[in-house]
Parts: sequence; structure tokens; C-alpha cells
Amino acid sequence: MKNSNFMAYFFLAPALILMGVFVFWPVGFNTYLAFNHYEIAGGAVEWNNFENFKRIWEEDLFHQAVKNSLFFLLVVPAIQLGSLLIAKLVNNKMPGMTFFRAVYYIPVITAISIAGIVWQFVFKYDGMLNSFLTEIVHFLHIYPKEQLVDIDWLGDPDIAMYSIMIFTLWKGLGYYMVLYLAGLQAIPAEVEEAAILDGANAWDRFWKITIPMVKPTILLCTMLSTIGALKVFLEVLVLTDGKAETYTALYYVYDQAFRNYDFGVAAAAGLVVTFFCMILAAIQFRFFGEK
Amino acid sequence: MFKSKELNRIFSVVLQYASLSAFGLFTMFPLLWALSFGLSSDGSYAYLFPDSFLPHVADEAGGYGIGATLVWFERVFVEIPFSVYFKNSVIITTLAVVGTVVISVLAAYPLSRMRFFGRNFIFVAIIATLMLPQETALVPNYITIVKLGNFADWLQLTLTGSDAATWKKLIGMNSYLGVVLPGVAGAFGIFLMKQAFEAVPQDLIDAARVDGATEMQILWRVMLPVTTPSIAALAIFTLVNQWNEYIWSSIVMRAKDMQPLAVGVFNDLTGPLSGSQNTLMAAIVLTVIPVLIFFAFTQRYFISGMDGAVK
Repeated sequence: MKNSNFMAYFFLAPALILMGVFVFWPVGFNTYLAFNHYEIAGGAVEWNNFENFKRIWEEDLFHQAVKNSLFFLLVVPAIQLGSLLIAKLVNNKMPGMTFFRAVYYIPVITAISIAGIVWQFVFKYDGMLNSFLTEIVHFLHIYPKEQLVDIDWLGDPDIAMYSIMIFTLWKGLGYYMVLYLAGLQAIPAEVEEAAILDGANAWDRFWKITIPMVKPTILLCTMLSTIGALKVFLEVLVLTDGKAETYTALYYVYDQAFRNYDFGVAAAAGLVVTFFCMILAAIQFRFFGEK
Repeated sequence: MFKSKELNRIFSVVLQYASLSAFGLFTMFPLLWALSFGLSSDGSYAYLFPDSFLPHVADEAGGYGIGATLVWFERVFVEIPFSVYFKNSVIITTLAVVGTVVISVLAAYPLSRMRFFGRNFIFVAIIATLMLPQETALVPNYITIVKLGNFADWLQLTLTGSDAATWKKLIGMNSYLGVVLPGVAGAFGIFLMKQAFEAVPQDLIDAARVDGATEMQILWRVMLPVTTPSIAALAIFTLVNQWNEYIWSSIVMRAKDMQPLAVGVFNDLTGPLSGSQNTLMAAIVLTVIPVLIFFAFTQRYFISGMDGAVK
């Protein structure tokens, strides 16, 4: 290593300047905005005595948004179990596994706005999903021939959040599958072979060998998807646009900022979300920081 | 006769492929459906399961048969400014990839290979930004970009005396740089390149120093050639992420002729003036296909190249 302050900072300058302006400055400015009223027209800033926090504390819409964000955590166990199972399936040494891995990863590399449009048509009142379900109930003779399934997947406030979860599941399974694959491939083949010799069946092997040995990956992925679930908002934006009581915490921030142009309230709500994410991230760093 | 053990094995293989295919259908059906929808001559069969997964074309007698037509794919270019969006996507993505790679490489080199005042502090500060939810930076960054545009305006007026307001088109709202700049310097890229540089043997660098190479020459002639796989990985991740990025681009790019595909196509297809559903699905397929082709060639970087990220 060579000691050279000038050269080092010369190399670092572009990154530090850009991160300073677009990553570090927003933290401070956001906190500042949260305690002030921001005049969008002239950019005048005025202290308003915690008015922004009082407002979100009292507003039903924000309560609903926070409740929805917490409710959305339901997607975490589903996505973890699902992606671990898929990873287990594609980790076999059988022909065609590369193909299946690629197929499962395609939703991850599809733009969320574009995928959202297709799913709007899937979830529509007279859309794909209902037509599929109609076929099934007719086949099983649950419904009479003339009756159709007509669930309003994105319009019914009781169902809309679940529909957004299905979309999130579809979009995220492949991402976590890849992380779990890496974890699975670190398990020595001998361990599993020994268990087979001892007569353990697939179910026992999954719970007694696979799960304990990928525990670090499970912890990491659970943390990542918990933070991801708390921050859910683009999914809402592209599917329901906040209709049918689907406001989430960050959607509320976006809505206040870029539809109402109330930057102060948006910043206050954003600060609350940041606070919770930092706590979760700190826990995550405690678990994984030393690695 | 098969022994029961043999039968069991065959049964388990069949079961595995069946579940693999079922999962595959779950992940692929929206795209397959959109493709079949776009290739059909109209929407008559589009919502009939399972017919909707094969394109249907009307014949002269008014009946429908399985077939394909490209007429809606041609309509896409007429109804929405698809090629303008495509051009914008290409420009924005290129700027983002070049910017991210250059800045990450420059920043990672001193962090991994030089000793200087404040090194650990800077590295920890950069990594700590991973904890911040980037979404809350949308408002401050929006204000910053507007102010940068106004500043460019003022600068042009002061320096050249012209009030043409052309400079703000370079950096303010509705500018390519405005979309790209906030994202190019990030913890992920710097961390990835730092890991790569740390794996380079010290002897290589010492040999270059003995030969009188400057730091810039060491970085360019020694470090870069041996870390191309990491640079490729960073470039590929950045490319796909930027191509798909929606929210920040939709905030900065208010002008229709500056929007990338992910924003422009979404607005056109969900707006009040959206055309027929067949055109819509054709546009979706056309938007996804470039990424799919790119993914087909680089998939190992996504599916096996991330091992390092977990360990």
C-alpha cells in the first residue's frame, strides 16, 4: 500500500461528490423538510411547529397505509418457503435445470411498470384469472354452467392487498431462488448421500438437513424481504394506484409528494419509514456484519 | 417388470419435472399470454382459458382459427412513439452503465489499494447508505434536480448573456443526466469493485511501481485487465436495472419525447387514450424482448454469478 492522500481523494472525488449530493444530502434535507412547510411555487421554507407530524398522526389515510404495510409482511414467509422449494428443485443434477432457472428469473428482469400492466389485465373483473377459475369451477361442477367467477381482484378492498401480494410473489421468487441456490450449493453432497444411505426420506432430509444448513441464507433473505415488504409501493402504484384501500406507507409518501405537492408531510411520513427500515437494517448488520 | 425401487425413482423424476413445469407456467404465463394476445387478429379469444394462450386469427368467413398476424406489432409504431422511447432507453442506459463503471472503479481503487487519511470512515459511510430506503430521497433529489436546472439557466444567462434556456436541458428536469446522475455512485458498485481489486496479487502492483508506473497507469494497465469479469457483472446488472427503472425516470422525465420505454409505454398504455388491447399487448412484448435477448446471453451472471454476494 502506498500513502498518498491527494491521489486517493482525486480518485474518490466523483463518487463522494455525487453520493454527497444525491444520497447523504437527501437524508439531512428530508429531516429538515419534515419539520417545515415547503412552498412548492417559490421554494420558501417555514417552520410549522410539528404540524406535519400532527397531521400524519391524526390522519386515517396514513394509519391505513401503515396498517397495510405491516399486513404486507404476510408475503415474507410465502416468498421464502416458495423460493427455497424452487431452489431445491432446480439444484438437482438433471437435464434442463439451467433452462428452468432462467425461466424462473424472467419476472425479476421484467420492468415492474410493464409487468404491472399485464397483471392488471390478469386481475381484471373480466380478466384472465377469473376466466381460468371459471374453467376450473365448471370442470369440478361447483358452479352451474351459466355462472361465472367474477371476483374484482384489484377493486375489492378485502382482496386487493392479497392480489398485490400475488404479484410481489411472482416478481420476487426468482431473486430469492438465486440467493438460496448459492446457499444450497455450499452444502457438501456427502451429507445428503449419507442421509439417503441411512434411509431418511425426502421430507426428513429437507427439514433436518437442508433447512439447518441454509439457515444463514434464510436469515439474510428473510431480512431482505422484510425490508422489501415494508417498503412496498411500486407494486401498488402500477396495479391499483392506491384505489381499493391499498395505500401503503411509502405510497402515501409518494402520493403526498407528487400528487398533493405537500413535501413537508411527505418528508415526515418518509422519516417514519426510514426510522423503521434503519432499525431492521441494524438488526441485519448485527447478524451479517462480521461476514 | 420394474422393481418397485425403479418405479419409485421414475415416479419421483416425473413428479419433479411436473412441479418444475408448473412453476414455469406460473412465472411465464403473463408474457406468453401477452404474446398470444398481440399476435391475434382481435380480442375475441383473449379471455377464454385455455384458448387465449394460442393466437387466433379471423378468416374471411368470420370464423376463427389458430394463426398469427403481425398487424398489431406494426400498429405499435404508429400509435405510440415507440422508437423515441427506445432511443431514450438506450441513451439513458448507456450513460448509466458507463458512469457507474467509471465512478465505481475510480472509487474502489484507493479504497482497496491505497492508504490515506479517513479511508475506513469513508468506506463505512458508503456501505451504511445500503440501510437507507432510497425511496425517501425522491423528494429531496427532485428539488435538487429542479435547482440544478435553474442554476444552469442562471449560469448561461450570466456567462453568455443569452436567455435561450438551453443549458438546463442538459442537467435539469427532462434531461438524461438528471435521470442518471443520482444513481451512478452507489455502494453496490463500489463494494463489488473493491472486492475484485482486493483479490489482485500485490506483486503485480509492486512490479508496476518498480517500473515507474503512476497510479492511473496501474489502475488502467494492471487492475482493469485482470478484473474484467467483475466489471462485466457490474455493467450487466446496471444495464438491466436502469432499463427497467420506472419511478425516478417518471418523476424527472415529464416531457413525452424524453421518456424511456418503462415510463412512456406505461403511461401510454394506462392513459385515457390507450389504443386497442391487442396493440397494448404487442407493445408490452416489444418492450420486454430486448431484455430477454440480453438475458439469454448473460444469464450466468445473474443465476450463478451472484454466489459472491451471499458468502
